Amino acid sequence: MAMKIKDWLKTIIFYEILVGMKATLRHLLHYKPITLQYPHEKRTLPDSYRGMLSLLRYDDGIEKCVGCDLCEAACPSRVIKVISAEVPGEPTKRYAKEYYMDMTRCLFCGLCVQACPVDALGMTREYEWAVYDKRHLYLNKEQLLAIGDRAFPVREKRLELQHPNVAFFNVAFTHLPPKTS
Amino acid sequence: MVEVGVKLALSLTQIAVVMGVVLLTVMFLTLAERKVLGWMQDRMGPMEVGPYGILQPVADGLKLFFKEDIVPAGANKFLFSMAPLLALVPALIGFAVIPFGPDLTVEVFGVQFKPFVISDINVGILYILAFTSIGAYGIILGGWASNSKYSLLGGLRSAAQVISYELNVGLAIVGVLLLAGSLSLVKITEAQTGWFWNWFIFAPPFPQIFAFVVYVISAVAETNRLPFDLPEAESELVAGFFTEYSGMRFAFFFLAEYANMILVSCIAAALFLGGWNAPAPFLQFHGSLAHLLWLSATIWFAVKVYFFLFLFFWLRATLPRLRYDQLMRFGWKVMLPIALGNILITAIAAYLFPRS
Repeated sequence: MAMKIKDWLKTIIFYEILVGMKATLRHLLHYKPITLQYPHEKRTLPDSYRGMLSLLRYDDGIEKCVGCDLCEAACPSRVIKVISAEVPGEPTKRYAKEYYMDMTRCLFCGLCVQACPVDALGMTREYEWAVYDKRHLYLNKEQLLAIGDRAFPVREKRLELQHPNVAFFNVAFTHLPPKTS
Repeated sequence: MVEVGVKLALSLTQIAVVMGVVLLTVMFLTLAERKVLGWMQDRMGPMEVGPYGILQPVADGLKLFFKEDIVPAGANKFLFSMAPLLALVPALIGFAVIPFGPDLTVEVFGVQFKPFVISDINVGILYILAFTSIGAYGIILGGWASNSKYSLLGGLRSAAQVISYELNVGLAIVGVLLLAGSLSLVKITEAQTGWFWNWFIFAPPFPQIFAFVVYVISAVAETNRLPFDLPEAESELVAGFFTEYSGMRFAFFFLAEYANMILVSCIAAALFLGGWNAPAPFLQFHGSLAHLLWLSATIWFAVKVYFFLFLFFWLRATLPRLRYDQLMRFGWKVMLPIALGNILITAIAAYLFPRS
């Protein structure tokens, strides 16, 4: 009975509503916004941030890509299109004659970067890629290389100059511990 | 002849001043609402236009002014253009009988002139109720004339809601009218002079606190504000009755909503919280400063009105929207009996212990 009267009293004085109003008033008085004023202040990106994709070069300016199409095969959203060709005058070597990325479809999973045997793809920390025309997000090889140039100013040496064993296989063994000489 | 001219000039100036103050308050309210809501929800509100976003209402106004004016295909053009005016004019016209300050009479060029109330008519509160009912037509016709299902649903909901809750507003006011013995807002305010226990919310012989609560809730419902914003429920009906409106017509609906908020706040302050009376007589300018009474009186009135406006924002930040059946049940099965019981008890109390 006493409980019933208490419940009834709570109903007629709008107890629950008053509790809610107290909560909102507390937030008003102890005003601590969690908003970041985005264009003026930007949050710190996590270390493993996966941003815009790019194509990389060796330190002598030759592009790394060997035109193997593995990135195209790995991509779940069919972002990448590679047209492979022989390097003129060097029949054993291939390169990507044309390389397109349709960034409107990319979901930034990073599978292409993992699939690449020569580490020719890199994920930068750029994310401000809003454009007025959707077609501006259909990037060709030159654009992707330009992104890589500005995002990774420090370039790797050619593989065969890094270590003789690596040069033999011409692939990057990212899982193996580095060899001690 | 000169007298008529002076009278006309005075009245027009008064109307212009009141309209200017109301529209400026609306401008301020649009910013204040977004800021207060933002602060209550740990956000910042508008921050871009001007320092701390204080020029946001100007930017909004300019944007609405330059927007394309669209009349949807198949809409009833006459009613579609008429509806925003039908909503706005009754909301603004109600301010004619609100006493913003003490009932002074000034003589200007031989004409008796009351500076703080545009027209002290003896059916004041009835006049306001009648005109706010016309405002509902604007919403209903706007919803119907748009030739859109969302607008129509919003208009229908609004019709049902306004009818149910206007009844409660009217009945909640009756208690005050019984105690004051007048319909004129000036007389009602004057009946509450002195200490704050003379205000009708606490007044002997029977405090109108229940009527006050019923009035505030019904007023929120009548102005279509959250948690009773079913006519414009954006998660269900896009924007309800003004889905198809754009540009200045949309702005008129917007102005009407905020003007209505100010109007019901003014009525609540005048009827229940003593209007321009201070909680204690010594808090007004008195004695040697008595000629400045109007200043403190208008400030007290503004404080009360702004308290109610803040309450509107506060409720909006706190409460989710009611379901339609809850709204109707609450209106008819809870508020109506309370209002009727309040009338009964107040009538008996006023008969047994008449106010001197």
